[in-house]
Amino acid sequence: MSYLESNLKTVPVGWRKILFINWPLVFLLAAVASAGFVMLYSVSGGRPEIWAEPQMKRFGLGMAVMLAAAFVPIWLWRNLSALGYGVALVLLIAVELFGDIGMGAQRWLEIGPLRLQPSELMKITLVMMLAAFYDWLDVDKVSKPQWVAAAAALILVPTALVLRQPDLGTAILLLMGGGVVMFAAGVSLWYFGTVLAAVGGLVFAVLESRGTPWQLLHDYQFRRIDTFLDPGSDPLGAGYNIMQAQIALGSGGWGGRGFMQGTQSRLNFLPEKHTDFIFTTLAEEFGFVGAFSLLMLYALILGFCLHTAMSARDRYSSLVTIGIAGTFFLFFAVNMSMVMGLMPVVGVPLPLVSYGGTAMLILLWAFGIVQSAHVHRPR
Amino acid sequence: MIRTPLRPLARILSARERGENPDAIERENIRLRAERSAERLRRSAERRLYVMAGFFGLGFLAVGVQMGALAASEPVEPRLASSGPAIVAQRADITDRRGRVLATNLLTHSLYAQTRDMVDPARAAQELAKIFPDLDPDRLTRQLTDGRSFMWIKRRISPEQMQAVHDIGEPGLLFGPREMRLYPNGPLAAHVLGGARFGTEGVHSAEVIGVAGVERAFDGWLRDPANGGAPLVLSLDLSVQSAVEDLLDSGMKMMNAKGATAVLMEVRTGEIVAMASLPDFDPNDRPAPLLKGDASDSPLFNRAVQGVYELGSTFKVFAIAQALDLGLVAADTMIPTKGPLVWGRFKINDFHSYGAQNSVTDILVKSSNVGTARIATMIGPERQRDFLTRLGFTEPTQVELTEAPTGRPLLPAKWSDISSLTISYGHGLSASPLHLAAAYATLANGGRRVTPTLVHGAQPKGAGEQVVSPEAAAQTLAMMRAVVTRGTASFGEVRGYRVAGKTGTADKPRPTGGYYDDKVIATFASVFPVDDPQYVLVLTLDEPVETSGPEPRRTAGWTAVPVAAEVIRRTAPLLGLRPEVGVEPEVLDGVTLVRN
Repeated sequence: MSYLESNLKTVPVGWRKILFINWPLVFLLAAVASAGFVMLYSVSGGRPEIWAEPQMKRFGLGMAVMLAAAFVPIWLWRNLSALGYGVALVLLIAVELFGDIGMGAQRWLEIGPLRLQPSELMKITLVMMLAAFYDWLDVDKVSKPQWVAAAAALILVPTALVLRQPDLGTAILLLMGGGVVMFAAGVSLWYFGTVLAAVGGLVFAVLESRGTPWQLLHDYQFRRIDTFLDPGSDPLGAGYNIMQAQIALGSGGWGGRGFMQGTQSRLNFLPEKHTDFIFTTLAEEFGFVGAFSLLMLYALILGFCLHTAMSARDRYSSLVTIGIAGTFFLFFAVNMSMVMGLMPVVGVPLPLVSYGGTAMLILLWAFGIVQSAHVHRPR
Repeated sequence: MIRTPLRPLARILSARERGENPDAIERENIRLRAERSAERLRRSAERRLYVMAGFFGLGFLAVGVQMGALAASEPVEPRLASSGPAIVAQRADITDRRGRVLATNLLTHSLYAQTRDMVDPARAAQELAKIFPDLDPDRLTRQLTDGRSFMWIKRRISPEQMQAVHDIGEPGLLFGPREMRLYPNGPLAAHVLGGARFGTEGVHSAEVIGVAGVERAFDGWLRDPANGGAPLVLSLDLSVQSAVEDLLDSGMKMMNAKGATAVLMEVRTGEIVAMASLPDFDPNDRPAPLLKGDASDSPLFNRAVQGVYELGSTFKVFAIAQALDLGLVAADTMIPTKGPLVWGRFKINDFHSYGAQNSVTDILVKSSNVGTARIATMIGPERQRDFLTRLGFTEPTQVELTEAPTGRPLLPAKWSDISSLTISYGHGLSASPLHLAAAYATLANGGRRVTPTLVHGAQPKGAGEQVVSPEAAAQTLAMMRAVVTRGTASFGEVRGYRVAGKTGTADKPRPTGGYYDDKVIATFASVFPVDDPQYVLVLTLDEPVETSGPEPRRTAGWTAVPVAAEVIRRTAPLLGLRPEVGVEPEVLDGVTLVRN
């Protein structure tokens, strides 16, 4: 059954669509973003003009983008998927060719508005492209090697480009986001098993390559691995972020120190207090209760997305929703894990909470597509 | 898998027999097959979704459990393993005798750069130059990019500047805590406190080292963590010190003096309640020492301790006290005072003639050099030197200041007869005002030796060598009282506080030899209240000129005495002394001003 058949059934049209928007999801997103405003206000030391106000303006813009995207029929998004993917790919190549955009170094900081664009865009367009690909592909051919290879190519080309920038965090998110869509599309589990085994081998090779002429990662990337394995080994250098973040989390305890009372972040012990490590401030000031509440908000958002995916009548809607939900999950799961020492530090912001403009706009646009899938479900 | 044929022959044949369309059967079968396949697909997709939801759930679980574990953990600060020997911070506070803070620490921050961690040194340099206008952005950029890995940018920055630097968002710009010595009262008691500077500087702290005054003298004690943060309690009283400095400053200006000093000391303990030297400085921002010229012109110079002067007639008291003590004279013994007194090739003269003879009391009251010198001839040089040694005039004072050893008295190379004559009226021996204060305190203390100290409660009371008999000391004090009631220090009378004292006006020696005619050191050494001596005040003005009269007047009676009287008037209530009620001020029978 395809959307063309669905189209014959009743689909909301015109302004009536506004009634079919998944409003609980909208409120959940607003709630998470509000937590972000509060934290940005706190880490700026009570000066909203530094981070909180720009963030609010961008969230307002993002909400408008989301609603606009929700009104666009899902089949139109499907037809635009390949185009979007192409544009993002061209931009990535352009960055590679002409991009003297300061990608060589820090990603823990905002460096101008140019930093995120192509790779951030690619996170969503890749998911759309794969969803459209599996929608187009005959179900029987999904696990055929040549078609799996085609899907893998769709994922690996942008991943390789992003890795060259180099931006390990985004590359991992692309890889895993694409994997989520392929898994949901029903690609045989054997492929996943093979890939996991290969990754294990690769990790081994990477670790072995250290110090040799064919070293596969940058020194700083190796240091991050060391740091992950034992943050205390270098508490003032590479392990500093992690140690300080864990101190912040620990000192927050169950109830937290109270709003604007976090010493770790407010006394500038914490690096990246307004971007990647903002979660630590929240955990310090509002404790386990606050941090767990945020986690629950994320869980509810994810739940609504999965519900939309399950109730979708066509394959594209279902796959794109799952893909976006998966990417979203990866965002905050990776961020929280890295802050709490469950994962090596890769520069991934906390979605909707961390300070950052383009990432938030693109994410809200993606949720607009999820809303579109929800609105245009035949009823 | 058993595939159902789309056109099962049996059904088609039977359908044909009934005249039905066999294609309908095929369509029906195709539809059923498609439905089954879609159902299978849907189930499979749903299964995958559940698996994925399970993975998401596991992710949530892992994050949530870690969150709880961290929330339950006790935060442990990381210990620095490789930061070298710890620099001891937390210098002890210094307080006055009532616990009011004279020196404390303030936490500030230093700013440094680790260039390897810097993202954009050029931008950072620009932004830093905006915050610190004294930095040159181009030079800073060069320094940050010339390959060095570490660089100090600012040693001390304010919290506002720190926030501004932090807002640059440059990860290579780092802050180190830095404890700074703060003197909250500014220049008050500057010479006593001295000052401090940074010693060994590290990223995490910096050593604070005392450079002068008690900060240096007690440097080890102040830095010793074993004291458990106990402050160093000085004998100074902040209120009294402040009053003394105020009055000394205005007195110095009124008398057109180029410098002034005052020491106020407790008689029984030798504790210095106030010690001032003008001009002074702010220990928060110590001026650089003079590289050329006279060190005593620097504001860093502590006149009370380091300045050794011929203190003039104030010394007459010692000759008389010793003569009384030895029984050579009594208070009413008549001494010939007809001048000049010729001794070898020296002639000793008085300011003007005081008649053929005077009583010992009148010699002090009128300040007769001739009379004092005659008394000195009775004593002899050996006994005089021994006496002055026991009063502490031959060694530097033992007060707890780094500068104290530099205040070494200047003694005659050979303590000859003529030396003993001139020393008896205060020439030929130079000592610091603090020496004088300690010696006067000894007389006021019933003749028991008093050692000056700056530490509160350090010395046991009443322990001191008996230098003069109590009777001789009391008689000397009575004569000093007469100096105020009817002698050279008549401006020194402060109603109710019964001041006793002795003036001294000494010509300043020329560096080239001989004495200036118009430059004097005017001193008033006083004891109050005289019937129960509690405090000694020595006040010295350097080159004073009092110009309200038709002729400029420089003698201590016109310069140092009125200033000292004002100091006593203001500080006596602060010291807890009660004025004697109901006693009329003694009538001054004409003011007589006597030189020397």
